Amino acid sequence: MELFFAQLLNGCALGALYGLFGIGFGLVFATMGILNAAQGAYASWAAIVAMYAIDLLGLPFPVAVLVGILAGGMVAVLVDQIGFEPLRRFGPGLHQAAMLGALITSIAFWIMLESAAGFATGQQSLAFPPGSYPAAVFHAGPMMLPAMQAITLAGLVVVGGGMHWINTRTRFGAAMRAVGWDPVAAGLGGVNARVIVIATAFLSGGISGFAGILSGISTANVSASLGQGLMLKGFAAVVVGGYDDIRGTAIAGLALGVLEVFCAQYLSSSWRDGFAYALLLGFLMLRPRGLFGSAGFTRA
Amino acid sequence: MMDIVEDLWAAYASTLGFAMVNAFFALATYATLSAGILSFGAVTFGAAGGFLGAQMVLHSTVPLPLIFLAAGLAGAVVSLLVAMIFLRLESHWMALASLALVLITRVVVLNTPDLTGGVNGLSIPQPLPLEWLAGLLVVTVGAFYALDRSWYGIAARAVREDTSVATCMGIDPRRIQLIAMGISGFVGGLGGVMMALMLQFVSPDTFFIHVAFTMIAGVVLGGSHHWFGPVLGAAVFTALPTVMQAFIPEMQDIGNGAALLLIMIFLPRGLLDPRAMRLRRARK
Amino acid sequence: MLRRTLAALAAAALLATPAFALDAGAYKVGFVTDNTGPLAFAGMSFSRGAELAAAQISAGGYMGIGTKLELVEKEGAGDAARSIQSYNQLIADRSVLATSCCILSPIAGALKPIALNNKVPLVIYGATAPGLPSLPYVYSVTGLPGPAEVAMSKHIAAQAKPQTVAYFVLSDNEAFQARFKASQAAMEAAGAKTVGVVNVLSADTDFTAPATQAIALKPDLMMVYTTQSPAAGIVAAVRARGWTGMMSANDAISPAAVFKKIGPPLAGVPFPVNFSPDASETPKAKGFIEAYTAKHGSAPDLYSAQGYTAIWLIAQGLKSLPGKPTREALATALSKITVLEHDVYGGLPITGGQAETRYTLFLNWTADGKITAWKP
Repeated sequence: MELFFAQLLNGCALGALYGLFGIGFGLVFATMGILNAAQGAYASWAAIVAMYAIDLLGLPFPVAVLVGILAGGMVAVLVDQIGFEPLRRFGPGLHQAAMLGALITSIAFWIMLESAAGFATGQQSLAFPPGSYPAAVFHAGPMMLPAMQAITLAGLVVVGGGMHWINTRTRFGAAMRAVGWDPVAAGLGGVNARVIVIATAFLSGGISGFAGILSGISTANVSASLGQGLMLKGFAAVVVGGYDDIRGTAIAGLALGVLEVFCAQYLSSSWRDGFAYALLLGFLMLRPRGLFGSAGFTRA
Repeated sequence: MMDIVEDLWAAYASTLGFAMVNAFFALATYATLSAGILSFGAVTFGAAGGFLGAQMVLHSTVPLPLIFLAAGLAGAVVSLLVAMIFLRLESHWMALASLALVLITRVVVLNTPDLTGGVNGLSIPQPLPLEWLAGLLVVTVGAFYALDRSWYGIAARAVREDTSVATCMGIDPRRIQLIAMGISGFVGGLGGVMMALMLQFVSPDTFFIHVAFTMIAGVVLGGSHHWFGPVLGAAVFTALPTVMQAFIPEMQDIGNGAALLLIMIFLPRGLLDPRAMRLRRARK
Repeated sequence: MLRRTLAALAAAALLATPAFALDAGAYKVGFVTDNTGPLAFAGMSFSRGAELAAAQISAGGYMGIGTKLELVEKEGAGDAARSIQSYNQLIADRSVLATSCCILSPIAGALKPIALNNKVPLVIYGATAPGLPSLPYVYSVTGLPGPAEVAMSKHIAAQAKPQTVAYFVLSDNEAFQARFKASQAAMEAAGAKTVGVVNVLSADTDFTAPATQAIALKPDLMMVYTTQSPAAGIVAAVRARGWTGMMSANDAISPAAVFKKIGPPLAGVPFPVNFSPDASETPKAKGFIEAYTAKHGSAPDLYSAQGYTAIWLIAQGLKSLPGKPTREALATALSKITVLEHDVYGGLPITGGQAETRYTLFLNWTADGKITAWKP
């Protein structure tokens, strides 16, 4: 029973990373209709920058994390403005040619960013210096909660809650949805579409970058390929959760993490990923609008 | 002089071979895209063809042409099964579902070692004669050209541009898309067995995300509205690393990405664009 | 005038060289690198070791007066299709007499038929699997998985007498499966019961859950049979969860980069290794370590030693040949080599194209980042 709860906690912490990354991923997918293959690289770069901020500049941990998040956001804006902006002249929303073009430019950026990240890390798997991050372990009876797991879970709650609030309660959230719906009409309605697009890209990169930093610390692995693992599961979390439903993505991420850990513990680790992807496919077939099914996918 | 030609051929024959193999995958993707479906399923169809082909080489004395046929049919069978389940999805969900299918394919391949060799994959003691590969590619491209001009080609274009208009014209979009998936499956299966023979081994990693990205990049790079676009795009995408290695070996991947990015920004409709060609002809 | 003098000098040189010597000139060796891609962390070390070997062989005139060994490198990026293309480009140059490649055994398996068809010697520097070498063309300088692990298992069983063992195994890697099975058999023969096997996958990065799973088994010993990144992650995760029991790993954790990354939690975890810059003591090993550190600014690791060895093996084959050898002649010469002249392992016999390391060191990291002999 003790083992069950310990693994449940491990699964939630892992799933929180998927959920966080997925929220960033879903933001671009929902508002701009872009299946962004470069999203994983934002996570890698944020982690690399945060690590060097501690290692080389000696910045304190919270500041280094902020620097990393900023870096993730900036890379995302760069990719958006160089790679996606020129394709937006095709017209509003999910025009097929624009969507395809953006997929290819995002693949191009993925290749470049990952390769550059390889040079930045000397092709090694590095780690945050021991002792540079909170390493305390909280004990409650036989249960234990490492500080990084607590921070990750809190991060998901704060970011998920914050984004949900922005999305549903603020003018910015409404503007984001309007731009995603139809930038021309949104422009006529008094929204500066370009600013909104840049802000969305920045948020998306920052959030995925945050997930990358947390993942880099708790797995002691900062490398060019860090983002790839998050990418596939984050993608699954977005689809299962409903592509523009932040609550859904967060819950789906947690569920995927728990599923993964329990599969490995109680069933079979070799089929572990198969369960996750089968769940993904099942949701696509049966509930294409996600867990809560509130979002309608009407643009086509 | 002859020596130079021979050496060049020896050095780059395999690059040409991989370009042709990737052309099959790109064509398989083009087949569905030209009927309005973005699908990465050709990776899965390729796996079906590749592993079946590998097993046939290893455990039978069937001649190559029959192996190719069997691989193509295996791909087609899988694709039609997939189509029956997937085609009721809206187009963007279909793309995501096909991506999920690629991820699942690898897990299944890994966990069925009796059929696929599992992690170790299968070694295939049978080289692929390039003339077979080239010949089959010519036939396939010819078939795409003919299809493009046929009733099916016109109907597919109508479905791609606007499903409801196509329906008004008396075209059943579902039927067209089913045929498109079948073609994609056959060509993807062929691509799979070609890849297996070209590498002389298949493993779970042979048919994974990178193939999906290679083929979609090939189609879009070459031009997703022209029957020859995918072949050209696959050639460019395959040759890029070799070219970059010759000029900037240290930064080759960054060079690959930059080249891909520049082509897409300046030629967003691909290298071969029928619309631009028509415009140029009209201007003359 | 000058030309005549040179011609006369050349003739004199010809006369001076014994009949059984290699002609002066540069001899090319094709080398498929993995300096980018998922295996670059090891790939860089392999190619640096090879580059050092080529420089030393050329500078010292090891193969004969006026001979040089030139390394021609092409990138394979750990990808089968790219490796095949690079390899074909390398051997298309007819002056490339021998080749060296590969970290992954499937890629080595894919290049092997090309080497055999083109009759060009191929020395595999990293990949290892039974049946991979094929005389007279294909060689492997990396010992087969198993013997080192069996030796260490017996050593640990004798020294620490664990009653129960839990294993971490990379379930999608054949070489580590083989290492695990060999070790498990040795442990069980010594009376140590298997209480559980925790499978992980090569691409995994989060080992908190596998660590929790293994700790719950309450073993006397945990043995880790995975590649570098998972092995480092597993040790770190197990220690982070407060488990202080005995752990062992494999040579993947021997490079200095692993300690730099994980730090003190690695202390006291034994691993078997046949080369370590801190423990290899033969004069040739010391010379290698010194020269490598001078050239690349950091100490070599086990991968550098393997790349280094591959090139020395080819040079030894070339040295034994007269005149201007062909690829076939070099292959025949290589097949006659049974002991490597210039090895850093303190003895490297080669049978049937497969090198074996006889001497295994049992080492561990100390808390302050030094490598010492392991004691329970």
